[in-house]
Amino acid sequence: MTQQLDLLDIQGNVLRAYGRFRYPAARYVFFNIRDGARGRDFVAALTRRVTTAVQWGEGPDKLPAPEWTLNVAFAYQGLKELDLPRESLIGFSPEFVAGMKDRRDILGDDGPSAPEHWDPIWQRNRETREHDVHVFVSINGLMPLPKDAEPAAIHAAVLEAQVRVEAGYRWLQDQLAACQGGVVQLGGHRGDDGDLLDYQDVKAVLDNGVPTSKEHFGYTDGIGDPVFEGVPYDADRINGRGKQLDNGQWAPLAAGEFLLGHTDEALEYPPAPSPLLLSRNGTYMIYRKLHENVGTFEKYLDEHGERYQGGKELLAAKFVGRWRDNGAPIVKAWDAASKARFDAELAALEKAHDSHGADQLLSNFTYDEDMSGGRCPFSAHIRRINPRASLELTRDEQPPAKVCGGFSVSKGAFDTPGALSNRRRILRRGLPYGEVKDRSRDDGNHGIVIMMLNADINRQFEFVQQQWINYGNDFKAGNDKEILLGNHSQSEHFPSKAVLQVDPNSDEAPYILPRLPRFVETRGGDYFFVPSLTALRMIAAGTVDPT
Amino acid sequence: MSNIAGKAYAMNVITPIRWYTVWLNKVIFWAALKNPSTLKGLITLSLIHYARWVIIGRNQFPHVHPSQPKEDLKYAYMLFFSNFNGSWDQYVDSFTFAIPSGLDMFWKWNIRYPKSVALTPFHKYIRYNQLDTLHYYNAYPLATSNDVKSARIVKAKLLDFDGATRESSDGEFAREYRKLLRDLQHDLGDMYPTPIVSMSAYQVERRQRWHDGQLDGSKH
Repeated sequence: MTQQLDLLDIQGNVLRAYGRFRYPAARYVFFNIRDGARGRDFVAALTRRVTTAVQWGEGPDKLPAPEWTLNVAFAYQGLKELDLPRESLIGFSPEFVAGMKDRRDILGDDGPSAPEHWDPIWQRNRETREHDVHVFVSINGLMPLPKDAEPAAIHAAVLEAQVRVEAGYRWLQDQLAACQGGVVQLGGHRGDDGDLLDYQDVKAVLDNGVPTSKEHFGYTDGIGDPVFEGVPYDADRINGRGKQLDNGQWAPLAAGEFLLGHTDEALEYPPAPSPLLLSRNGTYMIYRKLHENVGTFEKYLDEHGERYQGGKELLAAKFVGRWRDNGAPIVKAWDAASKARFDAELAALEKAHDSHGADQLLSNFTYDEDMSGGRCPFSAHIRRINPRASLELTRDEQPPAKVCGGFSVSKGAFDTPGALSNRRRILRRGLPYGEVKDRSRDDGNHGIVIMMLNADINRQFEFVQQQWINYGNDFKAGNDKEILLGNHSQSEHFPSKAVLQVDPNSDEAPYILPRLPRFVETRGGDYFFVPSLTALRMIAAGTVDPT
Repeated sequence: MSNIAGKAYAMNVITPIRWYTVWLNKVIFWAALKNPSTLKGLITLSLIHYARWVIIGRNQFPHVHPSQPKEDLKYAYMLFFSNFNGSWDQYVDSFTFAIPSGLDMFWKWNIRYPKSVALTPFHKYIRYNQLDTLHYYNAYPLATSNDVKSARIVKAKLLDFDGATRESSDGEFAREYRKLLRDLQHDLGDMYPTPIVSMSAYQVERRQRWHDGQLDGSKH
């Protein structure tokens, strides 16, 4: 790492996935500003309590991790209501100005994902001034160290984390009350049994009271988060998460892919509003509430798990590219023998408390040995959202009659192997919401709230969502979509499908997943700007001046 | 006017080049064609149908009728012509991410070429010198070049398979059928309409459909 970022200026949620730092529960709250001056006072009060990205720990120079974190972001309308000068406002990206609802046709939010099915807060957003979402606030609760390693003690610590979220929420309500109606909290988040709540609660999925890193389908989430320049607590996590170089090494991505005001992979500053102090160390955030159709998922997996030669769990792993039990990448663990080897290696590292080794085992891999997709299918989740260097590919045996279903690395074709991936990376934050009470049903309150951070919503998030999740041409798959998140066709006559490739030198046939249903549906969200601490203070003081 | 037809985008870029450095560019083109590995990156970018670079000399512009005034050109020009699948951004970005040095080699001697990295000056250079497409016809609007290649492969393989398995036993047939599917495992993608290339293009299309009476009522 050649630079160190200004951690005291960057909001903590940008650099940290809090879930990984013992924060298993959180609450997201949204506000509408009715009076600009009081709104700025509200921002000032929040800013004094905002959690930065500073390093935590014991010792003279370190700060303890807060019992609850607080982070703030704004939608475009919010910045307008806070009276940012027009000169600054026009510098924000067009997608951010338009918002997620307006971009639904790009994002493929159609059918059951269309805005008329979103939670009321998101349905009403950007329709009338009084219901526009202006401010986003997140509060994450820290789990105290459990008394012992027993599930009961761990569960008690999780409950304490939720108590801390409540404490943060009460503090937030006090700040709101002080605004005397100048700021209004927006309700309309669907909860259990159709209840409408004033906030969105999220929490790690618990197993016997112990928090896991799984979502409701049973997959381990958030392993492959990108690593970029200058983040001290990611310094030993570069392999498999940064960018792949010619010599097989890995390097951190440029900070400007994720933070405004820093140079990006194209050696320039990402487009950003002026003045520089408003944008530098800030970024864009995509908030998306995704409902998981657990009943549909279980039914489809059972049905095809019976037919699929490798069995149900391997099939589940093919959907995502990772095994459900421990997150093993299927590239490293593609059959029973290799999976057993992987499991033994992972267990040994965990037993030795080598968390770095375990982390590397899970994340440090390439597709170089799997260019044909015989292990990890081309439409599997992790291959679609981060193809690493696998798009630098060429067909084995060219003329039509000699095609054998295999691909190889097109070595040296691109100036750098990850050329087509490095500028499409996204930081992913967030936690599951709700609980699955009946695994045979879709209509419970369960899903994930995902927050994605990047410097350019259009080039990064929207591109991945449109081109790689809901379309397949870059993966030589025509219109075939990513298996798990794809907005699969609702049409009886033109159903969606996916191909699970096999080793071209084997005697097997590829397995075709027919009539793919929608496993995941959008329930709302919007685009936000996450300012730096400097920018928050300037917004609060009303001193943003681009001249 | 549209540069887009179905899943294809047509791009014409014409950039000035000093007439006395044209020979350098011609040498570069000649060397690239002699040495196919220099074009490997371009070929690996499978969203591209093809790309062509042509030098038009100062006196080579078409003069179709005696009444057409003769132009007095200071520069020769390089015409870049390409058809590809996807959006302008996607294409230009793929170029600069994947093969910046190749682009710089071809455009190096062009007037005010900014180099392909950083991105924004390159974007501006291409945009400024791009001629929009006045008429564009696409016989297979649902097909990308990958789809066309795949369709040809599927057809050839299927005919071979049909010929080779007429006399097969059940066991042989099953084995050959598995092989057929395996050989075609990257050629079976669905072919449906393109994702929206841009909101502007999408709105243009919707307005056209509304005027053609294909869309009802309010949503135009």
